Amino acid sequence: MPHFDMSQLRPQGRRLDWPDLLFGVFLIAVSAGAFAATSRLSGGSAADMGPGYMPRAIALILLGFGLFFAGRGLMRGHTGIERVQMRPMLGIAVAVGAFALLIEDAGLVAASFSAVLLAAAASRESRLFEVILFGLCVTAGAVLLFVKALALPVPIWPW
Amino acid sequence: MELFDNLLLGLSTALQFNNLLYCLIGVVIGTAIGVLPGIGPIPTVALLLPFTFGLPPESALIMLAGIFYGAQYGGSTTAILVNVPGETSSVVTCLDGHAMARQGRAGPALAIAAVSSFFAGTVATIVIALLSLPLAALALKFTAVEYFSLLVLGLLAAVVLAHGSVSKSLAMVFLGLLLGTIGIDVNSGAARMTFGIPALSDGLDFVPVAMGMFGLAEIIANLERNEVRQVVSQKLRDLVPTRADLKAAFPAMLRGTAIGSALGVLPGGGAALPPFTAYALEKKIARDPQRFGKGAIEGVAGPEAANNAGAQTSFIPLLTLGIPANALMALMIGALMMQGIQPGPQVMTEQPALVWGVIASMWTGNLMLLIINLPLVGLWVSMLKIPYRLLFPAIVLFCCIGTYGISNSAFNVWLMLGCAAVGYFFIKVGVEPAPLLLGLVLGPQLEENFRRAMQLSDGDPSVFLTRPISAVLLAVVAVLLLAMLSPAVLRKRTEALAE
Repeated sequence: MPHFDMSQLRPQGRRLDWPDLLFGVFLIAVSAGAFAATSRLSGGSAADMGPGYMPRAIALILLGFGLFFAGRGLMRGHTGIERVQMRPMLGIAVAVGAFALLIEDAGLVAASFSAVLLAAAASRESRLFEVILFGLCVTAGAVLLFVKALALPVPIWPW
Repeated sequence: MELFDNLLLGLSTALQFNNLLYCLIGVVIGTAIGVLPGIGPIPTVALLLPFTFGLPPESALIMLAGIFYGAQYGGSTTAILVNVPGETSSVVTCLDGHAMARQGRAGPALAIAAVSSFFAGTVATIVIALLSLPLAALALKFTAVEYFSLLVLGLLAAVVLAHGSVSKSLAMVFLGLLLGTIGIDVNSGAARMTFGIPALSDGLDFVPVAMGMFGLAEIIANLERNEVRQVVSQKLRDLVPTRADLKAAFPAMLRGTAIGSALGVLPGGGAALPPFTAYALEKKIARDPQRFGKGAIEGVAGPEAANNAGAQTSFIPLLTLGIPANALMALMIGALMMQGIQPGPQVMTEQPALVWGVIASMWTGNLMLLIINLPLVGLWVSMLKIPYRLLFPAIVLFCCIGTYGISNSAFNVWLMLGCAAVGYFFIKVGVEPAPLLLGLVLGPQLEENFRRAMQLSDGDPSVFLTRPISAVLLAVVAVLLLAMLSPAVLRKRTEALAE
């Protein structure tokens, strides 16, 4: 996945159509990645397609789209991108990451409670005491719903 | 009469106690997420998909369908009382519905919305029953060649009729198709783009993709905006509309139902486009268009009928041809495949109880919704008092547990996180993610049919033009593409979608 430092893109910046340009660059990167990943698969012929035929054909089309958007983004307009705020993005990312790391070894209770707490940090409006209480309730609810009622095979506790 | 036999079979399936129960669960969940802004039917259905695995296929589909049309009912409640659309399909209901509420007529507005939805739902159920048989009969004549052309048409039409830039949506379809090729190639057994990750060998699971792009990315974007919600608080005792209200609303209800049923069947149809069209029509034919936006009851009845009719008739291409009209129907295809049912025209003949059971359940579901939404409207309004700061951490958690539950692997949770990041990027650059999901779900089918068609014709692509049905389908594709290039049509489309 390509990384863009979008915080530097301001609407007042250079006369570029940033959404088009970034989307175009993204598509070019994806198609390049697809070409690299399928380079060792045989393409075959149209009558007898190999495993690499379709992915490369689609990647080629994507490359065309990418060049088109990137080119258009450079040529015209000066549309900016809405400012990227770090707090919501980081809060959600850390919450989901924590859940993924904890769920198998530490169990559903620890994973759920920490996911709710960390996700709440994504909003400026959250209040600590309220979130802790709410997190406990939701965790209890999740255990009842998913493990007891829906029989999801997942450990509840770390031990 | 075959039609009545089928409907009776459907009713006997839909009226089984457990199917009624799943229908009720579906419409209650649907109403809830419809009422709550910030969570739509797509992540909800994606979330519940893994848990339908243990259910019989008809119960699973009845419940998931209920979520979709239930959300159309719930969305209007929020639109009328808070002036925030609970769902995108109830955007236009805000205009006149909320104006009515501010004039102290929230009760009649809610009642007309629910009655219009119920009326449209009932008619749409009959439309589905009537159209399904001939379409399925036609589809049985299809070979790989026709199927490929039909899939191309479905994907393209979905792009043309949806919101946003056509060229960007087309690019997103191809991106989805590319993601669809990930996994073991069924013909050669070679692993494609799996990057050595065993979890990817069965292909990219679309549930984490849908939840990341539609659920989590949406939450991040919502948190960046600061929205203030103000619920119109008034006694909702006077729910009964006056005779004059009913007289004004009834023709609008009829027109809305017709528009919704017609637009819903088209690929790319669904619940979003019909209400806009219905509203524009009501405004155009009204004797006094000035009243619109100031509490005209036709402006509630028409669009509400249209979105519900559209939501239901968008099941027709899915049930008869196995082709999803929109991203949500793509998830339904996923639900079928999870049950081991290959979607396509043969489902209609091989699983009549399933298809007709789902169709009949839409009517029982609509009846339940009428009861759930009118006398119990106060309950849903009180749900709106839950602040978003508490709601969204719970949604994040449920998305995590849901994705983990698909195959009990943390890999899917990471995948969802990655998709959330990409989905957030898409929101920032103004690209709709729905076409990607369609491409991802239809990709494997498209490739399989293309390969088979090319094998049959010995690599000669002209076969798609020499077979009549396929040629007609591709001609429609060409007309659509040409129409999109014409500036006049482009301007009309922008107007129609902006209104």
